[in-house]
Amino acid sequence: MIEYLGILIYFIVAGALALIILGLSFIFATRKADPEKISAYECGFDPFDDARSRFDIQFYLVAILFIIFDLEVTFLFPWALTLNKTGFFGFWSMMVFLGILTIGFLYEWRKGALDWS
Amino acid sequence: MLFSFNDQLSKNLIPYDFDFNLALFDNDFKVISPELFLVLSTISLLVYGVIGSTSQKKNYPILVSNLAWLAQQAIFFTIILISNNPLTHGVIFYNSLVVDDFTLFFKIVVLCGAFFSILISLDYIKKEGLNLFEFIILILLSTCSMLFLISSLDFISMYLAIEFQSLCFYVMAALKRNSEFSTEAGLKYFLLGAFSSGILLFGCSLIYGFTGVTNFSELGKIFTYFGEPGLRGCELGMIFILVGFLFKLTAVPFHMWAPDVYEGAPTSVTAFFSIAPKVSVLAVFVKLFFSGFYDFMIPWQTVCILSSLASMIWGSLAAMSQNKIKRLLAFSSIGHIGYMLIGICCGTVEGLQALFIYLVIYIVITVNLFAIVLTPLTRDFTHSLQRVKYTTDFAQLGKTNTILAITLTVTMFSIAGIPPLAGFYSKAYLFFAAMSSSQYLLALVGVITSVISCFYYIRIVKIMYFEASSGASYAEQKHRMGQKERRFSHISKSTSIPLGITFFIILFFMIYPSPLYLACHKAALAICL
Repeated sequence: MIEYLGILIYFIVAGALALIILGLSFIFATRKADPEKISAYECGFDPFDDARSRFDIQFYLVAILFIIFDLEVTFLFPWALTLNKTGFFGFWSMMVFLGILTIGFLYEWRKGALDWS
Repeated sequence: MLFSFNDQLSKNLIPYDFDFNLALFDNDFKVISPELFLVLSTISLLVYGVIGSTSQKKNYPILVSNLAWLAQQAIFFTIILISNNPLTHGVIFYNSLVVDDFTLFFKIVVLCGAFFSILISLDYIKKEGLNLFEFIILILLSTCSMLFLISSLDFISMYLAIEFQSLCFYVMAALKRNSEFSTEAGLKYFLLGAFSSGILLFGCSLIYGFTGVTNFSELGKIFTYFGEPGLRGCELGMIFILVGFLFKLTAVPFHMWAPDVYEGAPTSVTAFFSIAPKVSVLAVFVKLFFSGFYDFMIPWQTVCILSSLASMIWGSLAAMSQNKIKRLLAFSSIGHIGYMLIGICCGTVEGLQALFIYLVIYIVITVNLFAIVLTPLTRDFTHSLQRVKYTTDFAQLGKTNTILAITLTVTMFSIAGIPPLAGFYSKAYLFFAAMSSSQYLLALVGVITSVISCFYYIRIVKIMYFEASSGASYAEQKHRMGQKERRFSHISKSTSIPLGITFFIILFFMIYPSPLYLACHKAALAICL
């Protein structure tokens, strides 16, 4: 675990550096806010309508697909590292797992979950 | 064959000695070949369904009834494979799954339940336009998970199977996306199901933390001397597991989700919910508490007795004020879980046997009831299709469809426990078992609540024969509405066959009950010995 200490220090240093850079602009820049300046920017026009719009379900689909295949990768990591110990049995077990996931992927594909029309 | 091939390959190519793996799993795959068949056929049906239903050339066909028939075929072959598997006893996959008489019995019950619940919903799906072939796939997947759940002998395999099953159910409850009730039911089921799974998992982790063992039979060995000081934590974990199971079984203090879910989900899904999952959850519940926690009998028996009493009382009282048929059936199933818990509270072979008999007959009755509830209603001359929603929808059934009315009457009498029918024998056997293991209070309350619950079962019979729809008298109604009567549409063959079979079983169970008694006895012995 000790090797994570460097990463922790790195995180702290990086966070501090980011705060410093952000803080410097607050200290040295001149700020004069007026209503035109702080209004929302929509290509120079006033907003046409309400900012709330129907949320596209595609984003959810992509997020769910990401979660599924991300989990797949989590299972692949230990498999890849220990393949020389588990041999053909381990290999074929993972192939079955991947096959089932592929069928899920085929389902999504045919259903059009991946089309951005 | 595949693995023997690999075996040779590995000997030639790889210097490691992992014959170990292959020899270990040599028979395991043969033992679970029925499950593997079901999984493989489910996957093939999924591929077939998705490719077929999105085919532009075929003009996007609706494959749901086609897939339903194929799924029934798959289930039928699985039943044949399971009942003819020569490897009938064994512990496989590193002690995580077990196969014996108990699992054989429960697997066949689950598969028959799934088979009939698809069969009775065929007509409903067509009429209601529930054109999602995924429904069938989800039924098959949850059936697979139930098979694994029934044979699981380890906390890990048990929890994985429960979650697999529940995940399918959450999706199924919310299947009808354009119905607010269905989505609400799905959400409610998901939240409470996930909560109960969390409780269950916490219990499992407590027990694992205090013993270092997740296997049921090894837990049984550890807990042989109950009362040692280190085992208090195990007792806590056991109570958590018990609560998780009671949630899943909709026993009373943890039943609040069931009526809403039953009411909101599409009726075919409700039918499946009330037929299949109780069997698998009860099976693993019984197995865990009779082989793992039997020496913790005193605490879990107390909880079970309280829950059973509360379920029976609440199930009979709350159902009285229900006007919607599915809600009524939900409360009635809560009451029935109360009766089934009596069998568990006994802690004897007779108790378990009575429980299994009760379960089988309850499923038979439920199939019959839901076959009728799933039959669409029509009004003459207007032809508006309508679901059976209120109990008053059965009005005038005695005049419009006499045979259906007789069937429903017999089923209602049976579920209420009127003597010459199957329901009476199952209840009586349960009460005898309770008396012989000195659970007098349970038996007494059971008898009283089953008398109370007669009220609402027989009220439906009264509505069928003596009541005009929506309160007015029959003549008045006829006068006002002309010829417009509520009547059931023509009953299709796929509904009438299960109706006929279950009606036959309910009516003539008393003549030859011994096969069921023997099968249940065998299953109970497999757990208790």
